[in-house]
Amino acid sequence: MDPGSPSPSPLTALGAAGGVVFGALEAARRRTAERCDAARAVLAGVPRDRDVAVVLLGSWGRGELTSGSDDDVLVITTGSRRPGLRPTVGELQPVFGGASGAQGTFDDVVTVTELATIGLQEDSNRILTRRMLVLLESAPLLGPDVHRRVLAGLLDAYLGGERRDRRPPRFLLNDVVRYWRTVAVDFEAKARAGEDGKWALRHAKLRTSRTMLFAGGLLPVLECHHVTADDAPALLLSELLQPPTDRIAAAFLRYEAVDAGVRTLGAYDRFLALLHDPERRAALERLPRSRAREDPDFQECRRLGREIQQGLTALLFEREPLRRLIRQYGVF
Amino acid sequence: MPRRSPPALQPAFPLLALDGRLQTPTRPLRSALLAMHHPLGASTGYMDFSRGDWAGMVERAVEVSTFAAELSALGEDELGGLVAFLEGTPRLPFHYLSVHAPTKRRRLADPQLVALLDRLPALVDAIVVHPDQITTPADWLPLGRRLVIENMDPRKTQGQLPKHLAPLFDALPDAGFCLDVAHAGAIAEDMGVAHGLLDAFGARLRQVHVSSLRAGRGSHVPLYRKDEARFARVLARCPDVPWILEAPPPRR
Repeated sequence: MDPGSPSPSPLTALGAAGGVVFGALEAARRRTAERCDAARAVLAGVPRDRDVAVVLLGSWGRGELTSGSDDDVLVITTGSRRPGLRPTVGELQPVFGGASGAQGTFDDVVTVTELATIGLQEDSNRILTRRMLVLLESAPLLGPDVHRRVLAGLLDAYLGGERRDRRPPRFLLNDVVRYWRTVAVDFEAKARAGEDGKWALRHAKLRTSRTMLFAGGLLPVLECHHVTADDAPALLLSELLQPPTDRIAAAFLRYEAVDAGVRTLGAYDRFLALLHDPERRAALERLPRSRAREDPDFQECRRLGREIQQGLTALLFEREPLRRLIRQYGVF
Repeated sequence: MPRRSPPALQPAFPLLALDGRLQTPTRPLRSALLAMHHPLGASTGYMDFSRGDWAGMVERAVEVSTFAAELSALGEDELGGLVAFLEGTPRLPFHYLSVHAPTKRRRLADPQLVALLDRLPALVDAIVVHPDQITTPADWLPLGRRLVIENMDPRKTQGQLPKHLAPLFDALPDAGFCLDVAHAGAIAEDMGVAHGLLDAFGARLRQVHVSSLRAGRGSHVPLYRKDEARFARVLARCPDVPWILEAPPPRR
């Protein structure tokens, strides 16, 4: 390799180790970067306060833009909520005027203090969702230094009371697990409440991108086993600044599970390719639950989801020291 | 004070019979390698005594695992009954279900056989096919990603080595791979062929067939202790896919 060239991402390195290219994932990363560059050009003249970041979430934040991706964005300040804060959400409309993923979760201004309301009554479903998405799948459109401070502030809120060396931080671990379980419970609750619109697509995402997001949060927390309490914030910050697929690919490489890693990311790559096909995505969006059993694309998503889960399970339960860590911390 | 007898081995899985009642396992796993793996499943191919009784064979498979199974229609005349059984939407507990396509008593031309296999309901995740059953690869395209091609043992003239299988996978780009570890181990004692197959087709791996082979005859028998050691490094490369036992679980 040219010594001056940047080192390949863990995703690319995993593919190279297994002799494959994750074409859909790599293309989605390029597409996301291009769209971000274009968005920055459009917003070049918009003023931004020094304590404000425009943060991308969802598939934008993961670097996984596909043809039908929602525009999920938050304006986050490390300071206080105040009149005249710039940019306003309205000023982002020329770029992010499209559909937004979850009702009321995005297209808003939020402070780090609000996001760091962890636990008890005031930590609503919306705050939990925003906090976890910022931690696990966010990327800065504007204000990368502020975005970094946002993540550091949230980590500080979790780790402030934890001073034990070589222990995954329980407060953060429990919240990551809580978020995953909340997503899964809310999925079923929506279905039972009769909100069957996009059921098949939501089911497919639950078994693929949501599962990957959970694992991408769980693995860095377990990595804290390797460091002292003083080093845990820096380790977590460096991990969370990467896309979830890089965190997961790096873990497969680190724990010498290249074969399983190639299959796991390969299954996710196939899912992303399917999602990028407008016709197949639209058909999944329209597919009612009653017909999902016979639908080839839904069944393909189900199988890909199983392969992803099997791969992540093998990584967590069949590789040292992860299998000891997940046994120690994963259930109780 | 009378000596207490040692406790029985714990069942590897809680068992769920087709009628929903929990049963005590009849074959606890005594192989550490197999007991540690998840998901594990049984092939009905070794259940010669129940041939054609699909519900009965499924119950036997459930005794090994409720997570994965392979329903084996090795004779073409068995396939119609299997399709009818599965079209009856039995309440199967498996998370992963494969079907082994016919290798014997073939009468149908490939397109007709593929059409019949394609009728298998969506709960069937994989259709395992021997490469020597594929006359014209294009005829098998309708099976898409459910098509899974298995490597062969030394008794066959083709299908054992990566160079044999590569043209098939080129022609069937969505097809998966089933590593028969005993077949590969019979070709190269040092397991070099098995590693070569994983190097070439590991990204496509969907399941592994696990057993030993009876010397000189090639029939599948429960995993020998010496093979457990010989296969271990190959199987360590397959921790995430179902392992399907092509013979009863070892009782040593």
